[in-house]
Parts: sequence; structure tokens; C-alpha cells
Amino acid sequence: MQKIVEVKNVEKIYGKADEKQFKALSDVNFEVQPGEFVGIMGASGSGKTTLLNILSTLDTPTSGSVKIAGQDITTLNNNEMADFRSNKIGFIFQDFNLLENLTAYENIALPLALQNVAPKKIKPAVTSITEKLGLTEILNHYPTELSGGQKQRVAAARALVHEPSIVFGDEPTGALDSKSARALMDTMTKINQEDNVSILLVTHDPFSASYCDRILFIRDGEIGQELKKADNSRGEFYQEILDSLGTFVE
Amino acid sequence: MLNKLALSGIRHRMRDYTVLFSGLMIASAIFYMFLSLAINKQFLSSNSPAAATAFIFGFGIVLLAIITIVYINYANTFLLSMRQKEYGMFMMLGAKSSKISKMIFVETFAIGAISTIIGSLLGIIATKYVSQWMITALDMQIKHFNSFYLPALMWTFIFFIVLFVFSALRNSVSLRRTKVLTLLHKDSQPSKIKRNGGVKAVQAVLGIIFLVIGYFAMWYIGKNAGFIFIGVPIALVTIVIGTYFTINSAITAVISLLKRNTKYSQKGLNNFTLSQLSFRIGDYTKILSMVSIMFALALGAITVGLGFQKQIDTVVNGQNYYDVAVHNADTAQKNRINHLSGDDQFNYSYKTDDKNKIVYYRTSEFKNQPFHYEAFNMKSMIATTKTSTNVTNPDVSYSMQQNMLPKYRMSQIKAVSDAKYNKIQAASNTLTLVKTTSFKNNLSKIRTISKEEAKRYPELKQAGGDKYTAYTMINGFFSGLEFMGFFLGIAFLAMLASCLMFKILSGASGDVKRYNMLYKIGTRQKVLRSTISKEIAVLFAVPAGLGIVHVLLGLQMFKGILFQPYTHIEIPFGIFIVLYLCYYFLTSYLYKKIVLK
Repeated sequence: MQKIVEVKNVEKIYGKADEKQFKALSDVNFEVQPGEFVGIMGASGSGKTTLLNILSTLDTPTSGSVKIAGQDITTLNNNEMADFRSNKIGFIFQDFNLLENLTAYENIALPLALQNVAPKKIKPAVTSITEKLGLTEILNHYPTELSGGQKQRVAAARALVHEPSIVFGDEPTGALDSKSARALMDTMTKINQEDNVSILLVTHDPFSASYCDRILFIRDGEIGQELKKADNSRGEFYQEILDSLGTFVE
Repeated sequence: MLNKLALSGIRHRMRDYTVLFSGLMIASAIFYMFLSLAINKQFLSSNSPAAATAFIFGFGIVLLAIITIVYINYANTFLLSMRQKEYGMFMMLGAKSSKISKMIFVETFAIGAISTIIGSLLGIIATKYVSQWMITALDMQIKHFNSFYLPALMWTFIFFIVLFVFSALRNSVSLRRTKVLTLLHKDSQPSKIKRNGGVKAVQAVLGIIFLVIGYFAMWYIGKNAGFIFIGVPIALVTIVIGTYFTINSAITAVISLLKRNTKYSQKGLNNFTLSQLSFRIGDYTKILSMVSIMFALALGAITVGLGFQKQIDTVVNGQNYYDVAVHNADTAQKNRINHLSGDDQFNYSYKTDDKNKIVYYRTSEFKNQPFHYEAFNMKSMIATTKTSTNVTNPDVSYSMQQNMLPKYRMSQIKAVSDAKYNKIQAASNTLTLVKTTSFKNNLSKIRTISKEEAKRYPELKQAGGDKYTAYTMINGFFSGLEFMGFFLGIAFLAMLASCLMFKILSGASGDVKRYNMLYKIGTRQKVLRSTISKEIAVLFAVPAGLGIVHVLLGLQMFKGILFQPYTHIEIPFGIFIVLYLCYYFLTSYLYKKIVLK
């Protein structure tokens, strides 16, 4: 089966050749299978945001190749990258990044409108995803009228509405209270399991990470340890992550 | 130490400060330019025949003062929004709020004072060149005008210094009152949503009623000039209120209609643009209404100014059919005449009987080359060209006399047969009359011929009578009005467009995040650019559209004093729209520079 994400020998160096250089990523290799829920964990400055930016075509690697859904994204031009993001990728950000001048419905419909999907097809798509995420009541509200948890669920709906190949989450629970964080992670797990959506989550929060099938630990730009949930319960996996973090950080 | 930090903060935001500085300099330059005209009583009284001029300029000063206050207010908000985060950080690190408020006071005042001084100097230079350009381009005669006018400079200083003292006080008080945390997170304060459909509907109706009253008042002024002193204030107030309500309600209604049309709104970023606009309109209503009024005033001033220019042609052409009248042309004059465009040249011989005060012409010459004259209809204010072979007809003689030498103008005109003419014991003279293809295009050549003629016949200097002399007199009469119209128009245009530009640019930093998000979810750069262009285009077009309607209906006011005020209005409209478009492109360019990576 085709891999969703295939990262080979990726390196990212900031600074020009004649200046002081900084290696943000070195020799990163990993894969994500269809329907997998993968977490990338690391401390601040470990390179996880750089990696996410490269995976989502917002940045390009200095060397190495990145394939998403079979497509080598390092060879795309600017327009192709934009089209790729709007077609193949869904984003959930820490600070929601909803447009406060659009209603929840309009925010969710935005990726479809961007792809110039026919208006009559937009409504059923939005309705279907919002029903799944329990957002039908708040569709006409503006983001400022919503709670943090609701906002993030709207953001999740926006990330999923165009049925992307993969959803990238950048600390999606970072700005949420514990109850909302739990609800959001439950929702993401449900979507992952029921609809077979591949998810790649970048986080430094062990609780969120414990929902993943597999976790890659990144430190100083290199992927070190890998942890698999396998048949463990979430609680056990959480404990295992904490133990790993303790040893990994040292 | 803190001062040093604050200065380095300014250095880091040099681009924003350049926008701020140039905006403020333009404001004070325009204010000076306007005052140098408006409060120069000697200039006003010697260049305008109408008593209403001082009154109109009085209104102009009030309006310009209001728009300047609003402008400074926006500039000040822009400054504060740039600085508050940094000052908030200083306070968080332990700087006393009294120290911070003193710093922002000094900063605001210093920026204001420096930009006023440089701006006024620019104003003096600009006044010199703009006026020179206008005077030569439009062949105007302006008296008592000086680009350096001390009272104007003094008033500009006083006005701006007072404004900046107030702004500086306001900034320091507002910084002192705001909590440190709010200062630090000012960027992320959400905007509020208002839903008030009922109020909007009432406003839409009221807006139209007010506009109708205003337009009616202007129409009535055109019918009844005495109404001007009541009519102008009524029109001004009602149109201002009407414009405000219309923008606030009607535009929102159009946007929500478009939003409801899913075929349109759910295509690309249309919905985003519409939402941006509907959010903005609430915030922009005041400035858009003001810009629309200023737009109308400025465009109106230029249109009326050029209307007077057109009037010159109409009146001059109505004075005399022939462009040139030369007596006993010598070789030099003949040469000059041959260089004029068009070959409609008529030679009439005449003999004079000084004793009995009679001038004799040959009947045959009038038969061969009928005489053209302008018959002026006092009622329609239109002159029509007529031809006649009978020079003794009173209308024809009257027109003929204008072309004759002054000493014969009181003489009787007789047309006689060739035989009789030859018998008259007197020297035969020749009067050469020329009609060119265009008086205006041949103006400089005609001027030389007319001056040479006056050298040969010095009595012509006093009496004139030829078309060029009439032109000089009428041009002098209308130039003052035209100059004022143009100057008013350009000053207002520059002010309103910079004001709008500033307002739009000061909101740009808040848009960075939105556009960045759109970029992240896969919007092409080209689409983002066109979205910004569209959004700013609407913000420029709304006041311009309303302004144009105001002018078209407002020209009714001038029906009494201007001949056909609507002909050739495409020229002032064209000039104006081109200048306005330049501002649009500049704004759009700067906005994209700030918002997009």
C-alpha cells in the first residue's frame, strides 16, 4: 500500500554558506502509513516545527526528499505547493487560526471554496463533517462567540472538510483546558479510526501524545527513539511516554 | 537607557515611521498651501469678482480643519498601535508609568513638530511649483499671489502644534490608564460583532431622504442664486448625514445580499473578501463618508474651475467672429498671418472721410466675401454665427466697428459701388480679417500679431476691440476663479486620498495573521494579491462613486453662473480619477508589502 508520508535523509540548514549556519534538522527518516495516527514529540527548539513546516510545504528542506501521498513535494513550485496544501493537507493550529470575520460555517467551507468546488456540493460536505463533530448548533456563530474547545473543533472541521490525505496538528490542545483537550483528542481518534484519516500530530504534551499509535521523539534536529502503543491502554501508553521523556531529555 | 531603547525601537520600524512621517508632512503641506490662498484677502478680492468667494473659502478652511483633525487622529492611533507593545514591555520590566507616559508625550510631539516644519517648507515649495504649473498650463493671470505667505505659515504652525499637544496628551493619558497586559496583547484583542438589522433599515431610508433634501437644495440654488447662503449649509449638513447613513446601511445591505448569493460568495475567496468588507464598513463608515464628501468637493471644485476655463472660450468666441484684425498689413504682419492655421482670410478696402465721419467700403467685396458676425442671444447665453453681405445693417455695422481702428468706430459705415469708391478722394486702406481653425491653438501667434498691431497703431492699446484684447480681459476675469477651483480641488484630493490610505494601512498589521493563515491552508499568492486589491478597490470606489453622484447633482448649483456646466466634464473627471487611482495603487502596493511575505 502507498505510504502517506515518506521522509528520506531530510536536512535543513539555516543561514547562507558564508554566514554562521544552524542545522535545524539532520538526516531525518520516517514513514506514515495510511490511517495511522503519529505523534512527533520534542522540547522547544528541537526542530519539530521546522519538520512540520517542511511536511506541509511551508518550507523546503536543504537536502533529502519528502513524499506525501506519493508526490515528491520538494520539487513543487510556489503555485503547486499552494494547490497541494489546499487539496491534500488539513491543518489544525494551536491558536485555532480561524478567521474572526467569518462564521463557523464559512470558516469550515473555506477550503472547499478555495478549490472552487461547486456551491451546491459545499453545503452537504460541511453538514456531514459538522454533524460528526457536533457543531450543528453553532454554525452561524462567529469565532469570538465560541469557547476555546468549540473553536478548535471548528478548526478540526475545516481541516477535514475537503477530505485531505493527511491532517497536520500543531499543538492543537495547547490553548485548551483539560476537558476541551480531552474532547478534541477523542474526536480526532474517532475520525482516525472510523474514517481512516491519517493524522500527524506535533506536540510536547504527553497527554495528547498518548492518543497516538506511534510516537517519534525528536531532539536537536534528529529523530531518536520511537514508541509504539500496540496493545497498551492509553493510560499505560501515557506512562510509557512519561518514562521515555525522562530518559530521552537527559 | 529607556530613551535609547525607545529610539532603537523606532529604527527597527523605519518603514512604518516613513509612512507616518510622509503622511503628516503631506497634511501640513496641504494645509499651508490651502491657507496661503484662503486667508490672503488681497488675493481673493483681486482675483474673484464674486463676493461669495471669501464665504466659500471660509467653508473650505472649516472642512480642511475637520479632515485634518480626523487625519491626525488616525495617524496618532497608528503611532500608538505601533508603540504600545514596546511600551507595555518596558512597563512589565519595571519602568514607571509616569516615565512611559512622558516618553510617549515627547515622541508624539517631536514627530508632530518635525513633520509640521518640514511639511510647511514642502508646502511653500509645492505652492510655488503647482501654481506656476497651473498658471502656465491654463494661461492664467493671477494677481497678488505669493507662495510664501507669513500669516498662512503662522496659522499652520499654530494649528498643528495645538493638535499635536492634544494628541500627545491623549496618548500619554491612554498609556497610563491601560493595563500592562492589555498593552502587551493589544494585537490579539478580538473585534466585536454587531447585529442590528432594524437600525440599518431605518438608516437606509433616512439616508436617502437626507440625500434627496441636499440634492434638492443644490438644484434650487441653481434656480435662485439668492438661496446660496441658506442652501449651501443645508446641502452640506444633509448630504453629510445622508452619505454617512447610506454607507453604513446600504453598503452593508449590498454585501449581505452578495453573501447570500452562494453562487458568488462560495467561489474562491469571495466570501472572505465580503466578510472583510462588511467588518470594515462598520469601522470605516466615518472616514468613507468624509472621503466621499471631500471627493465631491474636490472634484466639484476642479469641474467648476475648468467650467470657467470653458466659459472663457465661449465668451471670447461670442465677442468677435474673427481671430485677427490687421490694418494695412505690412510684409511682416502678412508673414505672421500666413503662419496661422486655416486660410480663411478676408480683405476689405476702405476709405475714410474724417470731416463727415464716414467710412466707405466696397459693396462688391462684401458680395464676394460675406461678413461673419456673432449674434448674441441674451436669454440663452448662446452666440450664433451669422453672415451678411449688407454691412450697413446695424448688427453687422456694430460687429464691423469692433474690427476698425478706434478713431473710426463712431463713424458711419457706408457701402458703395466700385465706381463711386474709386472717385472718393482719400487713401485706400485694407482691413484684413482672419478666422483660424482654433483661436486657442494659435494663441501665441495671435498674441504677437495683436501686439505688433498695437505698436503700429498705438491707439489700439487703450481701446482694444480685437479678439485677443477681449480674451486677455475675460481670461483675467475668470482665471482667479479657475485657479481657486483647481487649487482647492487638488489640495482636497491629496488630503482625502492620503487620509483614506492611512486608515487602510493602519489596519494592515491586523491582517497579517489572516493572510498568513489563508496562505497556509493553500491559497496561491496571486489569489491573495487579487483579494487585497479587490478589497482596497471597494474601499476606494465606494466614496468615489457617491462623490461622483454628489458632483453630478451638485453641478445644478452652477447652472446660473456657468454656461452648460455639464459639457466636457469628462476632462476634470478624468484628471481627478487618474490622480485618485494613483493613490489606490500606492495604497494597494504598500498594503501588500506589509501583509504578504
